Amino acid sequence: MNFKRDVSIRTYSGFALSSLLVLTILNIILQNIPDKVERAGEQLLELNAQEGVANAVTSVVAYFRGFDTLGEIAVLFVAALGIGMMLSSNCKAPHKEESNFILQKASKLLFPVIMLFGVYVMIYGHLSPGGGFQGGVIIASGMLLLLISDQNFEIPHSVISALETFAGISYVLIGLIGLLVMDRFLGNFLPHDISEMGMLLSGGIIPLVYIVVGIKVGSEMSLIVQNLIKRSEDD
Amino acid sequence: MTGLIILSAFIAVIVVAFATVIQKRLPDAIILFMGVGLGSVVLFFVFQAPDVAMTEAVIGAGISALIFLMALKHFKEAR
Repeated sequence: MNFKRDVSIRTYSGFALSSLLVLTILNIILQNIPDKVERAGEQLLELNAQEGVANAVTSVVAYFRGFDTLGEIAVLFVAALGIGMMLSSNCKAPHKEESNFILQKASKLLFPVIMLFGVYVMIYGHLSPGGGFQGGVIIASGMLLLLISDQNFEIPHSVISALETFAGISYVLIGLIGLLVMDRFLGNFLPHDISEMGMLLSGGIIPLVYIVVGIKVGSEMSLIVQNLIKRSEDD
Repeated sequence: MTGLIILSAFIAVIVVAFATVIQKRLPDAIILFMGVGLGSVVLFFVFQAPDVAMTEAVIGAGISALIFLMALKHFKEAR
C-alpha cells in the first residue's frame, strides 16, 4: 500500500501566508536584537543567586516553579498510562526478524555512551544546561536504540514500575519535608550556601529534585517507546 | 555574524517545512519533519536556550518521528 496524498492549492497558500508571518517576526527580532534580548534575565539572576545554583533555568524549573513541575510529570504519567492501556493489550510473541547488522553492532557501541551522557546531563543539571527532563529523554532514546536493534530485548516491567514509584514518592516526600521545615512546599531545607555555587554538591534540594524528575521521565518515556515498538511488531 | 546564522537557520527551517508540506509520500514527509526539528535546534541555541535545544534535539528529531512512523504503521495495518 502506498501513502500518497493530494496537496491542494489551499495548502500552498496557507504555507505562504504563515512563512510571511514568520519572516515578519524575524524582521522585528533582528531589528531589536542588541538591547532587548539580553536584558530579560537580570532580575531573575539576582534572585537565583540566593539559592546557590549556577544554572538559572534549573532553579526556576525545580525550585521557584517546582509545584508546576510536579504537575508536568503527572501529565507525562497520564500519557504513559493511556498509551499503555491502548497498546499493550493482546500481546503475542514478537517476530524473530533480525535487524540490520550495522545497526546491531553500532547500537552496542553507542548505547553506553548515550546512557553516560544522559546520566551526566541529569546529575549536572544545576551547573550546566540540561537537567532532569533532558537527561531522562536522552536515556529513553538510548533505550529506543536498543529496542529497535535487538528483537529479544525488553525492559522488565517490574524495574520500570519500581523506579517510577520511587521517583514519584520521593518528589512528594521532598516537597512535604520542605513544607514541615521551611513552611512551604519544596522549601530548600538542605544547606545551600552561596559560596559553594558551581560545586557538584550545592544548591540544597534542587539537584535531588532534578535527579528524581530525570528518573521518572526516563522510565516513563522508555515505557512509551517500548509499548509502541513491541505492539507494532505483534501484528 | 549572529544575524547571519539566525537568518540562514530561519530560511532553512522554512524551506524544509515547505518540503514537508508538499512531500507526497508520508514516510518521507516524516523524515523531513525531523529536519525542521534540527533547524530549530540551531535557532534555540543561538537564542541562548541550550536547555530547550537539547530537549528539541531528542524529542523533535528522535522520539516524535518514531511515534509518527509507528502510528503510520498501525494505520497501514488497520486499513
